[in-house]
Amino acid sequence: MKTVFFHADLDAFFTSVEQADNPALKGIPTIVGALPGQRGVVAACSYEARKFGIHSAMPISQAFRKCPQAVYLPARMDRYIEVSGMVMGILQEFTPRMHQISIDEAFLEMTGTERLMGTPWTIAETIKNAVQDKLGLCITIGIAPNKYCAKLVSSYCKPDGLYEVLQGEEIGFLDSLALKDLWGIGQKTLARLNELNIMSIPQLREYSREILSALLGRACAEYIHAAVNGKDPGIYPEQPKHQSISSERTFSEDCRNAQDIKKMLLQLSHEIMFRCMKQKKKAATIVLKLRYWDFSTVQTQHTVKNRINSAEELYRQACLLLEKKWDKKTPLRLVGLGLANVSTHEELIQPELFVQPDDKSTKLEKAVYTIRNKYAGVNITKARLMKKKNSKNGT
Amino acid sequence: MIFNVDKDILLKEMAISHETISTKSTISILSNVLIIAENDSLVIKATDLKISFSTKIPVTVKQPGSVAVFCDRLLDILRSLPSGEIEFALQENLVLLITPKSTRAHFELKCIQADKFPPQQEVDKALFFEFSQKDFIEMISKTIFAISDDETRFFLNGVYFEKNDSKLNMVASDGRRLSFISKDIKADIDDINGIIIPPKILNIVKKNTPGEGNLSLAVTDKNIFVKIDNRLYTSNLIDGKFPNYKKIIPEQNEHFFLVKKQILAESLKRVSVLVENKTRSVFFNITENLISVSSEESDIGMAREELECEYSGPEYTLTFNYLYILEPLNVIDDEYIRMDFNDPKKAVIMKAKGEQDYMNIVMPLQSE
Repeated sequence: MKTVFFHADLDAFFTSVEQADNPALKGIPTIVGALPGQRGVVAACSYEARKFGIHSAMPISQAFRKCPQAVYLPARMDRYIEVSGMVMGILQEFTPRMHQISIDEAFLEMTGTERLMGTPWTIAETIKNAVQDKLGLCITIGIAPNKYCAKLVSSYCKPDGLYEVLQGEEIGFLDSLALKDLWGIGQKTLARLNELNIMSIPQLREYSREILSALLGRACAEYIHAAVNGKDPGIYPEQPKHQSISSERTFSEDCRNAQDIKKMLLQLSHEIMFRCMKQKKKAATIVLKLRYWDFSTVQTQHTVKNRINSAEELYRQACLLLEKKWDKKTPLRLVGLGLANVSTHEELIQPELFVQPDDKSTKLEKAVYTIRNKYAGVNITKARLMKKKNSKNGT
Repeated sequence: MIFNVDKDILLKEMAISHETISTKSTISILSNVLIIAENDSLVIKATDLKISFSTKIPVTVKQPGSVAVFCDRLLDILRSLPSGEIEFALQENLVLLITPKSTRAHFELKCIQADKFPPQQEVDKALFFEFSQKDFIEMISKTIFAISDDETRFFLNGVYFEKNDSKLNMVASDGRRLSFISKDIKADIDDINGIIIPPKILNIVKKNTPGEGNLSLAVTDKNIFVKIDNRLYTSNLIDGKFPNYKKIIPEQNEHFFLVKKQILAESLKRVSVLVENKTRSVFFNITENLISVSSEESDIGMAREELECEYSGPEYTLTFNYLYILEPLNVIDDEYIRMDFNDPKKAVIMKAKGEQDYMNIVMPLQSE
């Protein structure tokens, strides 16, 4: 049977929500994220703002220089999550096989719905109209025989787009794209390919899997080989095998005080462990990310023998990585902490001979987690993490 | 300072000095050895501040003196020379002239003033007691592999050492397995409350000790001293509390099996070829007089091997990190291995048949 997938992607989601909630903003460059004068980045920008060369993740100061007349708004995450929920609700009316992949994107499997609801094109038009009518938001839909192509199609026809690539036309569609448009090919791979004098998708397709494997490594080769042949390299399996859980913070002022940095790590450790508990997941690889005052960014990781069981343990490991990586002098702009290769997979574990102090921490943290969940508003936290009034550090 | 020395004698001591000094740190005074020529002997000292080494060899001193020499280069020079006598002469501009008698080569090595060299730990001679070299080396070899490299558990990063009545004990653990060895000691000295010795000094002593006769040991609050003939090794101790190891040695085990050491070691090596690298898990399925050792089934495949053993009791499957079994097997010197166990979730004791003074405790792997 012919398979049909939609990739539905809300256009400039955060700013569109702001514009829908406040119609006076329509047509005006709108930027959501940090406010000018603050530190931080653009979280989202409207298409009007993009004309000025602004893009997401750009430092807010740079954005302000490019477009001082734009409207700058703080992010209202709760509202975006609420609206996202409503959009996903609409999408779900069209297929039970909806797979949300981020706050503003979802895949819809529409295989075999033609007799029930009409051609994919008609369904997509109906979805677009429903989202526009009910919520005043534009959504772009890419239609293709698999998820990977659908994702490429929607990026291709954004904003407010609708485009369909039929079965058998995947290769032709791909050949109209530039190499850098291939989703999942990063700067490094691109540079490596260019180095090998591979400049276009048709050129890349001529290389066999074995040769690519020798050039780029097996995993990368498998991915690229599937992608350039119009097949899904498995970008969004229904249940990802491994993922990472991470969080990061920008300091309000560049920080070189080891105490403050460690305090931030403690906070991040707790946040991450609570998320792990919520998702019933564990991991053994700790990743520490440091961004220096000059925006240069380094990352380091360490894998422990047993998986991390408590925030205390995670914090200790994070401090150890910090001591190894940071020279205690260079001011830091941001610290990030994460757990990689997170899994729920039942694995053999190596129990300890001696009773561990961490066993206690694990129990304590689980209790705190239960209390936090049971009584909303009750906030139990480490004394060290309690905020002083007018506290400057951290957000 | 001018002296003549036999190359082979000097080379041996310089090699130990080189092992002692810190190789990682950038070139500094610690990359040097201090040499002192006086009374027809040459004293050589090397240190990385945590551990130090000093030794004394016979030389012909024509003019006494001392200087600090870059160890790495001096060692390379010595290695490049044939056997025979070498003359060392220090010039006033701190250049050391090295003139081997056996060749027409000639080296000039820039040196550092002797007083820049850090002072070394001293110890009261009365604290030393005698112990068999052979036993000491055996104790090190049979425990040191079990220490932990996890820096967050620094107290497991060394070998625990204690004297109780007439026994000297060494214990090492990474928290998941533990090696314990005990030897009789005749010396009449006070008990030593447990200390934790960093592995570096133990490895150096183990490597450079012939194993005949006795050595002298002294322990203070912060240091251990090992004296073997003219060589003295000193090391800082790890400041920490070693966990109470006696508590985790199972007292009574219901079951045991006996298996030939050689056969078990060889089959483990074979099966481990297909063992998954993360947990290194190997299954021991134990039935009446038969053990089946197998790897977990993975994407690559699996391996299984059956071996004869002496066992009677119910069927059990124990899962181990195979290295925790193989490493002790490599140092046990006996025909038969005995494994005592209760159930697959409790610690297992592994030792040579009939042996009481050396054992390995291993925690089996479990599924969550």
